[in-house]
Amino acid sequence: MRNFLDRLFEVTGYLAGLFMIGTLLAVLSSIFGRFIPALDLQGADAYAGYCMAASAFLALATTLRRGEHIRVTLIINRLSPAAYRWLDMFCHLLALAVSTTLAWYSIRLVRQSLAFNDVSTGLDATPLWIPQIGMAVGTTMLALAFAVDLVDVISGVKVREEPKDGEPAHIE
Amino acid sequence: MELYITAFLILALFAILGSGVWIGLSLAGVAWIGMELFTNRPVGDSMVITIWGSASSWTLTALPLFIWMGEILFRTKLSEDMFKGLAPWLDKIPGRLLHTNIIGCTIFAAVSGSSAATCATIGKMTLPELKRRGYPDDISIGTLAGAGTLGLLIPPSIIMIVYGVMANVSIAKLFIAGVLPGIILAGLFMAYTIGWALKNPEKVPPADQSMSFTQKLYESRHLIPVVSLIVAVLGSIYTGIATATEAAALGVVGSLIIAAVQGDLTRKTFSESLAGGTRLYCMIALILFGASFLTLSMGYIGLPRHLAEWIIGLHLSPLALIVVLMVFFIILGCFLDGISMVVLTMGVLLPTIEAMGFDLVWFGIFIVLVVEMAQVTPPVGFNLFVLQGMTKKDITYIAKHAFPLFLLMIVMVLLMYFVPEITSWLPRHMEG
Repeated sequence: MRNFLDRLFEVTGYLAGLFMIGTLLAVLSSIFGRFIPALDLQGADAYAGYCMAASAFLALATTLRRGEHIRVTLIINRLSPAAYRWLDMFCHLLALAVSTTLAWYSIRLVRQSLAFNDVSTGLDATPLWIPQIGMAVGTTMLALAFAVDLVDVISGVKVREEPKDGEPAHIE
Repeated sequence: MELYITAFLILALFAILGSGVWIGLSLAGVAWIGMELFTNRPVGDSMVITIWGSASSWTLTALPLFIWMGEILFRTKLSEDMFKGLAPWLDKIPGRLLHTNIIGCTIFAAVSGSSAATCATIGKMTLPELKRRGYPDDISIGTLAGAGTLGLLIPPSIIMIVYGVMANVSIAKLFIAGVLPGIILAGLFMAYTIGWALKNPEKVPPADQSMSFTQKLYESRHLIPVVSLIVAVLGSIYTGIATATEAAALGVVGSLIIAAVQGDLTRKTFSESLAGGTRLYCMIALILFGASFLTLSMGYIGLPRHLAEWIIGLHLSPLALIVVLMVFFIILGCFLDGISMVVLTMGVLLPTIEAMGFDLVWFGIFIVLVVEMAQVTPPVGFNLFVLQGMTKKDITYIAKHAFPLFLLMIVMVLLMYFVPEITSWLPRHMEG
């Protein structure tokens, strides 16, 4: 089960990468569309936004499983291993609650957009439920990833991560 | 009553953040409690609508593209080339090759949006080269830590995009406004290095073999790729040909071309840069999502309005407010990363800033400078982490030697306060 889910997170992460390329292509089409009208998508701006959103949401789970989502570790890293484990469990429970709520309402948003026939106000006139599927899938994956992570913490598979040498954090 | 609840929320936020809950989710969680307490609106629906809106907004699309561009360039030989092109020119200045740190970071900052990436990319080339020639560790690491922060101030800049989206300020204007302060700050860093070298001449190793002028010029050919990329990205923004997002897309294509020409573009490096960029963007996006919901919730609570009324009631002078904010951000920066700091405070602070009559572009550059300071203050400072990973030195050692540059950043803030034209002159002359 765990392996299957990790594979699933890898797959959604892979899709996130494809949507990143999609963002690039949508922006490029709006640049080159000015010179070559055949390349111009109607409403490329909106498509770039949808691709970007899908990319961010679909990558959530794999980013979490690789320990790359940022948290304040100043206090937790100074605790004894046992205390670390308890606090880490608390963090995971809280995160699981928030991410599950987010997933629940994201799915609800897709269903409401579908039911009320919500259409983008831009040139693209896309029915909004289609791009919002990315958000629903991505947040659901994140909630699942937190569940797997929590099981790992409880069963002792996941312990404190030592800072990795060499590989610099490219943050900011 | 409301005051107590607000105080409770702020305490709850810091307790949850401090316990180690992921930042974006902490923000969303506290926003949820706040909305539940202060309004009768359906909280969950408001939350997802707000997050969807910020996740799919056109202005934000510059962010993932610039991040991806940085990831591509990190995997090229660009920094090696820059060292080769710059070194021959700098051997005559007091401090010699130490200036490759500063000028290298300044140039790389103009194609990279991140301070830590600038620090890492330049450092992986200069640190070993400087050590081999016998430059003392303390000054090479210190200048690198400080100069790396220019990655934020000199456009493109991730933190400027985040601020621009939060404050609804033109990202292109912010970018161009950062150019002059960035160059002046780099100048201050170089002046410091020259001063250090004149005071400690025995610590500066002798120059490499001297080259003739034409040889130097020939070596400079290594700078052509990076300079053309800068011209394409910043030039297109300044002349109004492209928006910030479009310039970012051009930048991605340009860096792919550079990587291909250098022979660094393999299937492996391409997919690594894509995956790395996607995850890094995702990490930042989660914080932005939480922050957008928190800003909505704070608006219902009325915190920004109350804070603005309260601060204006204090009759602070603008200078006093700037000093207070600077101290506040430096303290906050000891615990939080720059992006979280900006998204957390801007929603609350902006009405105050507007009411006090500050120009929002000027204030954006001020915020970027303060975040730069946070990059080199322990215990949480990303440039310190990067350099710790690269040099295996203790974080306090690195921070100690970066401290003079930290002071220079404060000088820069004051300079900007008394001469605001530093930020406003270039944007005024932009096209479009």
